[in-house]
Parts: sequence; C-alpha cells; structure tokens
Amino acid sequence: MGPIIPNELISVEWNFVIAILIGMAFGFILESSGFSSSRKLAGVFYGYDFAVLKVFLTACIVALIGLFYMDYLNWIDMSQLYIQPLYLYGAIIGGIIMGVGFLAGGFCPGTSLCAVAIGKIDGIVYTAGLFIGILIFSEMFSFLEPLFEKSNMGHVTMDETLNVSPYWIILIFTVLALLAFFVSDIIRKRVKKVFY
Amino acid sequence: MSAKYKTKKILIKRRYQLLALILLILAGGLVLIPKHDKHEGIKPELFVKNILSNERYISTDILAERMISQDPSLILIDTRSAEAYQEFSLPDAVNIPLDKVFDENLNAYLNQDVYDIVLFSNDHFLADEVWMMGNRMGYQRLYVLQGGLNEWFKTIIHPKYPSQTMSQDAFDLYSFRMAAGRYFGVANDTLEIKQKVIRKAKPKKVVTQPKKKKKAPEGGC
Repeated sequence: MGPIIPNELISVEWNFVIAILIGMAFGFILESSGFSSSRKLAGVFYGYDFAVLKVFLTACIVALIGLFYMDYLNWIDMSQLYIQPLYLYGAIIGGIIMGVGFLAGGFCPGTSLCAVAIGKIDGIVYTAGLFIGILIFSEMFSFLEPLFEKSNMGHVTMDETLNVSPYWIILIFTVLALLAFFVSDIIRKRVKKVFY
Repeated sequence: MSAKYKTKKILIKRRYQLLALILLILAGGLVLIPKHDKHEGIKPELFVKNILSNERYISTDILAERMISQDPSLILIDTRSAEAYQEFSLPDAVNIPLDKVFDENLNAYLNQDVYDIVLFSNDHFLADEVWMMGNRMGYQRLYVLQGGLNEWFKTIIHPKYPSQTMSQDAFDLYSFRMAAGRYFGVANDTLEIKQKVIRKAKPKKVVTQPKKKKKAPEGGC
C-alpha cells in the first residue's frame, strides 16, 4: 500500500502540500513544547533539563516501532523508503561541528527557525550564523568534496551491516533509550535546578 | 510539600512508567511475532496484466534494424544453455540461462533501467520464462524476441521471397532483410540471384485453343 506517493495513491504534487503541513505542525509543536528556548535546549548539556533528549528519542522510537508494525501488516513497503547515504567522515566531522554549534548557540537548525518565528533575537543571530556557515561550506565544497566522496558508504543500514534482525536492533535501541531516560532523570535530580 | 502535590508527582511518574512499559512491550512484540515471507516484486494483478499483454515482444526486423544502427541502449541476452550459446548466438549477446537469472554477477544485466534488454531463445518460450521471472521481480525494460532464433533464421538469414501478388511493402521488407542478412555476414547473393531469376516474368504459356471451325452452312432455307 504505502508509501502513498511512490505508489501513486495520491499525485506527486501533494508532496509539497503535505511537506508544508507537516512542517507547520512540527514547528507548532516544537514551539509549544518550549523548544524555541535556547536555555531549555542547552539544558541537556548542563544536566538540568533533558526534555530534548526525551522528546527526540521518544519520537524516534515511536516512528521506528510504528513503521515496522505497518511494514509487518503490509501497510507500507520499507524497501521503498529513502535511506540517507552514509558519508562516514563527513558525518563525524559534521556531527562535531553541529554539537559545538548546538552547545554554543543553544539551538539546532530546526529550533532556531522556531525561535526566529516568535521573534527571538538570539534565534535570529543564530540563523544568520547558520546561513553564513552554509555559504562558507558551499564556497569550499570543491575543496571538501573528496572528504565526502571517499567515505561514501552508500545506503547502509545497521541490520544489513551487522547481519542482525532489524527487530532485535529496535528492541535494543528501545531498551537503551529507556535506560537513557532513567539515567538522565537521576542526573537531573542531582544537578542544581535552573529556573528560566 | 503538600499531599496533593505528592500524589500528582506519583501519578505523573506512574504515567511515564506505563508509557515506557508500552514502548518496551511493542518493541519486544516485534521480535516475538511470527515472521512471514513478504511479497516481493510487482503485485499479482499487474503481473497477470503484463503476461496477457504482447507489448514485451519485439520483432526480428526491428531488432535487426537496431543492431545495424548500433543502438547503444540495446543488450541481447541469450537464455539458452551455455552449450547452445557456444555453438551459435546473436552478435554481442550475453548468455544467461534460466537457472542463472538470479546469479549475483549476471543479475545486474536484468535488474536495471538504463538499457533495453532483449531476451531470446530458440523459440520465444524459454525467453518468455526469463521475462516472467524478471517482470515478477519488477525489473524494467525487458523484451522478448518474438519467435526467437528460429524466426531470426526465417526472416533475416533466409528471408522468403514475396509472391508477385504481394504489396510493395513486402518487397521493401524483403530487400531490407536481404541487406540485413548481408550485414550479419550471410552470403545470400546467390539466393537473390536465384530469386531474381524466378522473378523474371515467365513467358506466358500460350494455350492454343483450336479455333472453332466455322461450320459450313448447312442447309437452310
């Protein structure tokens, strides 16, 4: 049955309409959950607020489990879903830069746009920096390209690489996430409370 | 800390524990549920529709034309056995017998969407079987040479001279087939001469009919 657009259940033009609607809903929920506050987001690094970790990991697990149940019931064909190619070194270096940027600025790219939408000055400054970063990266791309291309491992998945059933990976991932929630709660209780 | 606040805190904690338990049960359920073989390739209804359609067939004339024009998007696949392939095959054909369709090295020829793959065998039945397997798996741009090598011999290597009552198109097609045969290295000039000789208008056989002799007037008034 699904995915609905590749299987022509609805026309391809709806792609953008649905993307805009989902984007708006996502932005609204982010903002209403307080994710446009850089203090809340940075809290995960200082140990006084783990909402970011909990929300994103829960969303990840719910989507993962939901998709695999839908695949089991033949409601969606997992093989038709797009898998992002893995550029190993690019991902490691990009992850470090993103982490430093997240910690220093208090936003991730999505939440910074949320902050811009409600007129937060730190969000606007962060987004301006984000675009400058994109510009520098684009200008230097021909220089950086070999770094990407050499480490392109293609559309790899953990279950295929490790030769383990995806269901076991989901279970292990869920247990690890719940463990992270539990440990983060202990850390939060021990760290001095910050009111913002 | 008031008792009300304490109760509320415990309730929230219980709710989170319950949600965590639900996630754990659902994730564990995925491991425990009985697995079933998933349907691969195209849907059965579409497969039946494709089998009933003749769109997969390509005629020997069109194939010959594309081969002569050195169409770069064309790949020929001989679906007969390796022995038969060694004995004779079409130029530049790749041998993929029926039992090697899913061979790791050879499957890449069939499972692609860049080239037009023309499958052939002695007749088109074996090639049809390979086509069915490929189509079922959702492979794109697979075609079958109608009539296979037998038809190839009949039309390109030894084309039949059209009868005098046939249209000009039939004669043009014959000329094309003769030229195509020559392109593929068939010395069919003699055949043409022979045919030409035959083509010569036969002297009309005059069937003489004895003229009726005028009967001498008999009698009368």
